[in-house]
Amino acid sequence: MDLNFTKEQENFQIEVRSFLNDNLEPQVVEKVKNGIPITKEDSERWHKKLNEKGWLAGTWPKQYGGQEWDVVEKFIFEEECGSAGAPRIVPFGVGMLAPVLMKFGSQEQRDYWLPRMLTGEDWWCQGYSEPGSGSDLASLKTSAVRDGDHYIVNGQKTWTTFAQHANMIFCLVRTSNEGKPQEGISFILIDMNSPGIEVRPIITLDGSHEVNEIFFSDVKVPAKNLVGEENKGWTYAKYLLTHERTGNANVAVSKRKIQKLKKLADDAKKNEQPLSNDPMFASRLAQIEIDLQNLEITNLRTLASVENGEAPGAESSIIKILGSEIEQDIDNLTRKSLGKRAFVNEPDALSAGYNGAEVFPKAAAYASGKYFNHRKKSIYAGSNEIQKNIISKLMLNL
Amino acid sequence: MDFKPSPERQILFDTLKKYFENEYSLSDRNIAAHSDLGYSKKAWEAMRDLGILESLIDPELDGFGGTALDISTVFEALGRGLVVEPFLEVGILAAKVLSKGNDVQKSLVKKILKNECLPILAHSETDTEYSKSFVETKLSVEADGSYKISGSKRMIKHAAEATHFLVSCRNTGDASSEEGISIACIPTDREGIKIDSFATIDGGRVSDLTFTSVSISSEELVGELGMSYSIVSHAIDTGILAICSEALGIMERIKELTLEYLKTRKQFGVPIGKFQAIQHRMAQLLVEIEQARSSVINATIYFDDETEREKTISAAKFSIGKIGTLVAEESIQLHGGMGMTWEYDLGHYAKRLVLIDHEFGDEDFHLQKYISL
Repeated sequence: MDLNFTKEQENFQIEVRSFLNDNLEPQVVEKVKNGIPITKEDSERWHKKLNEKGWLAGTWPKQYGGQEWDVVEKFIFEEECGSAGAPRIVPFGVGMLAPVLMKFGSQEQRDYWLPRMLTGEDWWCQGYSEPGSGSDLASLKTSAVRDGDHYIVNGQKTWTTFAQHANMIFCLVRTSNEGKPQEGISFILIDMNSPGIEVRPIITLDGSHEVNEIFFSDVKVPAKNLVGEENKGWTYAKYLLTHERTGNANVAVSKRKIQKLKKLADDAKKNEQPLSNDPMFASRLAQIEIDLQNLEITNLRTLASVENGEAPGAESSIIKILGSEIEQDIDNLTRKSLGKRAFVNEPDALSAGYNGAEVFPKAAAYASGKYFNHRKKSIYAGSNEIQKNIISKLMLNL
Repeated sequence: MDFKPSPERQILFDTLKKYFENEYSLSDRNIAAHSDLGYSKKAWEAMRDLGILESLIDPELDGFGGTALDISTVFEALGRGLVVEPFLEVGILAAKVLSKGNDVQKSLVKKILKNECLPILAHSETDTEYSKSFVETKLSVEADGSYKISGSKRMIKHAAEATHFLVSCRNTGDASSEEGISIACIPTDREGIKIDSFATIDGGRVSDLTFTSVSISSEELVGELGMSYSIVSHAIDTGILAICSEALGIMERIKELTLEYLKTRKQFGVPIGKFQAIQHRMAQLLVEIEQARSSVINATIYFDDETEREKTISAAKFSIGKIGTLVAEESIQLHGGMGMTWEYDLGHYAKRLVLIDHEFGDEDFHLQKYISL
């Protein structure tokens, strides 16, 4: 058993740390550390800095501008970003579509779309879920009918994160009703500015606007935007989902949030004592810390097996369940620690242009909002119930 | 990064696993575990011949193991076998204490390996007090410079057959003070020792011990007078690592038994494992067992780190206590009526798993300890 990083891995860790130290904007870090949403412009400036360093898409092959990071280097980069309070890289282009194009796309598609992801010319969103197709994704109905050099797309997508920012969407569409539902699905790239597309915001219960519904009415899409073969889209989608589900442990982010929570609890008073001395609070906090410490080892065990050449399987489902639940537990306890101050909801309190009363502690600006917003974590990327189905099938063979 | 055990340890684990599967029948084990002795001398000797004790003991005392990883590997295998013989009490607790003693006491460790003695640590005093430093048993200094011990010990496993007791006692300090604790190594036939033994729910026998003005000499102290808390503490920490690993082995075996049952038991015309209500409960158990394993790995990694040991040990014991009880209860539920029977293996694993939480501090105790560290 050997838990140490190699010398090269340690050096890389130091390099990442110093890059973050030199390049992160303090006001953006303050938002991230207080759990407050960042703007599109905050993300774009950060993507630009990472791209200049060659780290926006570190796992990509060198020929496309990546560094060919292995799982451990990717892990180190993400953990350091998590600790430092860096904005998360918006994953839809570089993290999700790109691996599909590299594996299943044409050379022309790779050469055209990949560089534009790095420069930020395209902001991608993901068109998977539909009103009638959530966990049962393969039942999706949005149709694409071939008409000469084009497909004509009709239907509706929903829960589309950041569609309001996006100029491109990759979609699963139905191109056949023959055979099993999975066998009639295709994977296609659509320009969001095409005539016939309408984006309507979905405001979530915390009042924020992340997700949208998209209506497609006779939208003309060039046939060259089909990825891979017609009716093979389900295979590509599953490949993408395995990428989506890795990196869900969020250990460094959760550790940082626990440190923040401890600080809040030291400053808050209960029974004229710091809240951190309250046995009930201390017990809840310690249980989360122990769960997280165990998850850290569980996650490293999975990484080590991938590093040593074993294929990641349903282990990513275990980590998705644990990572989401632990983060929700932290958000829950953070909300509790604020007592009556948890009523406050001023998510813009740290943004330029806010002219309301100063929120103190700053974390209170969006703590309850974050708690409600993060209920999504056990729902998205395959609900935790779907993850249990996967574990049952792949690991338990039930 | 690499979490795999070394090839040598993997071979040791596989050998023991196979041995228990082929040679350690659970029905024989259950008869022995609930007999007047509480275990099988024949099985004990056969397993000693296999070298299990040596693998728990340092090379300078004639063993060939004794590291945290060795102990964890062996006890996971012992857990799979649901072994009731006194490896924890003799091979860990007594051997770790004696290894800090004088030459005569160290030689007792070598005698353990030759089947010439069976020393048992007599430390725990009240039923609900788990603190490692809680000792009220009195050590008094007589006019001639000799010592006498008076007090009582509770729930000492496998004590009735012991050849020696390692008795913790104090000459100064409050009941929970780390200062003032001594350990005396005395033969069990010494005058003034009373033994009351009881059957147990999970197998093996336990005893309450009463010491009434039991004479000891200064050569019988293990370590310096009043300075032996660290010896007891380290032995118990090692014991915690061992039973946490044992619990892992038990949980893995329970997982196998339960999965097999879910695939063979049919209701409504299909194996019950086809029902999602069952699948999700089982998937949750798998997730929890992986977390339990991670907690034990963490405790093993930090075991020799003086600043981190107690904290990671408490985190592991808390995790094992919480998850172990869940696994025991859920696996019985998933087996339906079969899980309730004496004849079927599962219940015996479940009992041991739940009772492990009552040894060396339960989940509440270790959560509080974790918070305090």
